[in-house]
Amino acid sequence: MWRIFKDLLKHNGEFRAGALLISIVVAMAALSFISPYAPDVSYVVAPDVPPNASNWLGTTSRGQDVFWQLTFAIRNTLLFGLLVALLSRLVALMVGLLAGYCGGWVDRVLMSVNDTFNVIPLFPLLILFYFVLRDRMSTPLLAVLMASLGWAYDARLIRSIAMSLKSREFTATGIFSGMTAREILLEQHLPYIMPIVFSTALNNMNWSIGLQVTLAVLGFMDIETPTIGSMIYWANQHTAIVAGIWWWIAFPVALVVMTFVGLFLLAVSMNEYIDPRSRLAGMEGASQ
Amino acid sequence: MTDYLNYAMKRLGQFALVVLIGINLAYVITHATPIDPVEQSISVATYFGDTAPEAIAAMRASLQELYGLRGGALTQYVAFWGRIIRGDFGPSLSAFPTPVSTLILRAMPWTVGLLATSTIIAWVLGNLLGGLAGYYRDNRVLKVFGITAMALHPVPYYIVALILLIVFGYLWPILPISGGAAMNVAHGWNWPFISSVLSHSILPALSLILIGLGGWFLGMRSLSSNIVTDDYVVYAEIAGVRRPRILFSYVMRNALAPQLTGLAMSLGGIFNGAVITEKVFGYPGMGTLLVDAVYAADYGLVLGVTTVSIIGVSLGVLIIDLLHPLIDPRVQVR
Amino acid sequence: MKRTRVVLLAFLVLALAIPAMPRPADAQGIPQDIPRKELLILENPEGTIKNAGWFNIWAINASSQSNGLQQAALDTLWYIDPEKGIDGVWDNSLAAEKPVYNADFTEMRVKLRRGIYWSDGVEFSSQDVKATVDIQISHPGMRFSAVLANNVASVEAPDPETVIFKLKQPNSRFHANFTVRWGAIWILPKHVFDKVADPLKFDFNKPVSLSAYTLHSYDPDGKWYIWQLRDDWQRTTLARFGKPGPKYLAYVDPGPPDKRVIAQLNHELDVIHDIAPEGMFTLARQSKTTESWFKGFPYAHPDPTLASVIFNTQNEHFGNRDVRWALTLLIDVKAVMLAAYRGAATISAIAVPPTGVHPEAYHKPMEQWVEDFEIDTGKSKFKPYDPTVGRQLADTLRPSMGEAIPKDPNEIANSFGLGWWKQNVQAAGELLERAGYKKIGNQWMTPDGKPFTIRLMVEGDLRPVMTRAGSMIVQQWKQAGIDARLDVAQGTLPTRRAAGDFDAFIGWSVETWGGHNDLSYFMDSWHSSLVAAPGQPQPLRNWQRWKNPELDKLIEQTRAIGFDDPKVIDIGREYVKLMVREMPIIPLMAYNVFTAMDQTYWTGYPTFEDPYTDPVPNWGNTRTMFVRLKPAK
Repeated sequence: MWRIFKDLLKHNGEFRAGALLISIVVAMAALSFISPYAPDVSYVVAPDVPPNASNWLGTTSRGQDVFWQLTFAIRNTLLFGLLVALLSRLVALMVGLLAGYCGGWVDRVLMSVNDTFNVIPLFPLLILFYFVLRDRMSTPLLAVLMASLGWAYDARLIRSIAMSLKSREFTATGIFSGMTAREILLEQHLPYIMPIVFSTALNNMNWSIGLQVTLAVLGFMDIETPTIGSMIYWANQHTAIVAGIWWWIAFPVALVVMTFVGLFLLAVSMNEYIDPRSRLAGMEGASQ
Repeated sequence: MTDYLNYAMKRLGQFALVVLIGINLAYVITHATPIDPVEQSISVATYFGDTAPEAIAAMRASLQELYGLRGGALTQYVAFWGRIIRGDFGPSLSAFPTPVSTLILRAMPWTVGLLATSTIIAWVLGNLLGGLAGYYRDNRVLKVFGITAMALHPVPYYIVALILLIVFGYLWPILPISGGAAMNVAHGWNWPFISSVLSHSILPALSLILIGLGGWFLGMRSLSSNIVTDDYVVYAEIAGVRRPRILFSYVMRNALAPQLTGLAMSLGGIFNGAVITEKVFGYPGMGTLLVDAVYAADYGLVLGVTTVSIIGVSLGVLIIDLLHPLIDPRVQVR
Repeated sequence: MKRTRVVLLAFLVLALAIPAMPRPADAQGIPQDIPRKELLILENPEGTIKNAGWFNIWAINASSQSNGLQQAALDTLWYIDPEKGIDGVWDNSLAAEKPVYNADFTEMRVKLRRGIYWSDGVEFSSQDVKATVDIQISHPGMRFSAVLANNVASVEAPDPETVIFKLKQPNSRFHANFTVRWGAIWILPKHVFDKVADPLKFDFNKPVSLSAYTLHSYDPDGKWYIWQLRDDWQRTTLARFGKPGPKYLAYVDPGPPDKRVIAQLNHELDVIHDIAPEGMFTLARQSKTTESWFKGFPYAHPDPTLASVIFNTQNEHFGNRDVRWALTLLIDVKAVMLAAYRGAATISAIAVPPTGVHPEAYHKPMEQWVEDFEIDTGKSKFKPYDPTVGRQLADTLRPSMGEAIPKDPNEIANSFGLGWWKQNVQAAGELLERAGYKKIGNQWMTPDGKPFTIRLMVEGDLRPVMTRAGSMIVQQWKQAGIDARLDVAQGTLPTRRAAGDFDAFIGWSVETWGGHNDLSYFMDSWHSSLVAAPGQPQPLRNWQRWKNPELDKLIEQTRAIGFDDPKVIDIGREYVKLMVREMPIIPLMAYNVFTAMDQTYWTGYPTFEDPYTDPVPNWGNTRTMFVRLKPAK
């Protein structure tokens, strides 16, 4: 795996750009551990101060320093995205591999379930869940919910790969030479699947963070814990745009856009890498 | 042919199953809400004035009667399915006694109009530009466009909408930022109304198109760049066929099939209503209808909108699954 | 390649051309073919109306009441103004004089005005009042059915000018139901409703008006309603005050708060109902034509509604007075006001809203008593009241807001309020200890040894200012070592409030007339006989479910005397003292509404200097505003 990353870093401009953006974002998140202000207090600094030497990104109408608030916000948002991506990968992998290998009625049943999840309107469902769970809708719970709704598309992808791998020669060779199913799965097939899982994970992170930001902005989330979405929510509550406190919205938006673009670039460059023709074309010097 | 019929029957069965499960799921979740529609109505009605508890109890009983909430869960469930089969979603509780179908039919043209138009425009534009970019790989304009599309695509929709709102509503107010049409313009097929609808739809449509463009662009670009290296394309180039002709008739035509699938799925997804679009731009569509209904615990309306969504999306997928083998001869029907 | 380039270019040109296309003069939202200088555009805070074409205000559904229907089209017997009134606080509208009760308040006689006509030419008479009562009693489930069925034994209309109500039990304030304080039981047209089989399913479209405006047009999608002055406006009760200035009224849904500010800056919205404090400050800074209730800070109109922290006294912790007082002493109200209103608030330490005529009757005269009030924590005795909090608030704001903050102590008292309870963490601790709570480390534990948790419920997006106040209070309780959390009940607050499903919440259980000192408007519903058992829904307004025999006595005393009896104020003062001692709710501030009025097209709005009514546009009383508005020039 690491060799792949090194290769990409050396040869692929998109990957480099993506990696740079993500490292900035992660650095911001890491800074949250040394923040001089606790994340949930307000009115600790003078409100509505534009960016200056002591408040690098300005302060909010609630008397919080935008920079340090942002470190917590991006940390929580990133962790959320990671959690959802992780959980949904697990489900997608399980379902996809099972369906691909077993075939037959197992495959049909799983795919029917998959299709159901595909067509259920996501947003109304989330809003409904929010109203049923209200204050018990904590971030981990939302992550579990979204993970259970976000695996469907990728499971199909993994299934088709599994099906094609099943009929490959080296699989048959493995079976004949007495490898157990587990060994075949882990040693032979996983290296093919992992890059795809990784790039879909990145896309999945984008999707879940986007959805979380949207829900938070609409007020359907815990607004006391700082996340990117809740920062924008509070800015709207205080009509920051009209009041001229543009830095309260601009910087969270900029940071989250950086996150998205970075993740996306990583995913795209990994995808291109996986397809051998484009990888070759890329490595011949003409970068995309 | 019988192969296909078998396949069609199976898909239809799957469709029915999915719709059934979806509606039941929505029903269960809606009725699990802690908000009591009767309580909501009472709090609205008793906004002023003193009221004795006997009076409130009387109001509660009569409202329950009115809303059809008497009887246990099972009775209500059976009654619900009885109505659905006849296509009647019942009266809306929060907008009593207006039938749910009236409310949905009022909001649907706005949602469908806006989303269908923006989806199609984004699809056409995205595929066009993507095909061009995939074929003419060295063109600088297209490369720049590619980068812009890639940068815009992952940005959450809310942020794009917000930026458009600030730019065109606040900094440079040349476009209307709220409502479906201007005030006091009679609804109908007359030019003032139509032009008003058009001008009010520019910003929401623009935000949707900007977001949707990137996806189609990137998909088409990678698809066509794959096809470009196929034998028959190389043959056509060597044979001296003009490049634009190759692009449209050879490359894009063959790349279109998966994009059509995607289009059908997007069109099906229209019925979800774009909740955020409608919130940011004040558009009177189904998304706002749904959110308001959830707030008011209006079971009938929530179920109505969700059912329409589920059926719309599943229908889109079904149609594509049925048409796909007919369009693309390479697809084997299992 | 050339062809595709041409196609792309053409598309680009087209895309740029669309905004430049000639559009009908509708700009962002001005109606067609109605001259702007004859039109007054107001905000309808109900937003987009679902049942847009429904004007039957007597049925409960998602139709609108404040789309102009109650302000411009309907009428009822009396009005009480929340401010000073255009001609005194009390207005005999459809009634010709005040209600006349018999000795034991079981009968009320009303003499009606003559010469008032419905907009379809039928004359108004006692038959309409009788029908209003009879139809709603015989069709339970209508908006006022329960109130009428509960109170009225029978109603007679012996002649077109007289109505006699016979009540089921003595009720000295029965007339309040027909007196507009925001809204009331509106009179319906008998000649229309007689022809209707089921009034619950009747949409009353087009409505027949009794007041000066009729429906001109409306949006079937529920975003705007336009009303037009009747040609025969002299045959309405509003004519007594003069001819209304605006010929047309438009009530619209202008969208979220920042859009409202933009709309007024573009002169497309004359009266904003409410915006965030920051929006108000922006308007004050950027617009030369925007006017508000106060000329300077805090700008907002204080509604006669008291925003407070309301405890659920049936909860194990909050039934104890010491706990309630302790929580009060942990609050620094200045910080709360800064958080909620950016300081633009009118505070009140006592349980009466500091607006209208109340400061003269309650707040100022009782200042001495409140200052002398003493608390004994068991370990120490002290006087918790700080009379300078209002001034402190003004001083805190002066550096950043400059000239907008008044300097005169009287003005400060009117704008910001008088004093409040001084934050005293030490005393709060002593009170909690007396109640059996123990502080272990930095965490307060209940007598059963569990951590002391409080969930403070707020309404979220729907009432952002209250949410902000709640957020600050939670922070202060947390700093003192209580596990306090904010509980956002978006949309579910009415249900949970009625069910008692909360520890405490920010809301109001005290609402008064504003222009009249009788407190029975809310106090009557606080009688212990109306308190629901735990788990049962509580009717309004005693959300705190508080029972107190002294309060019952005061309520019963009030019921026995007339509405205008001066003894009402004495009883009110006893109520204030009781509330201070027991503190079942923590009074915070008046509900300040940031109503902004644009003087580009109209002048003559009500302000603190000219308080002839309140400008908040969804109040029924705003009809007097129409009469005083004149075109600007």
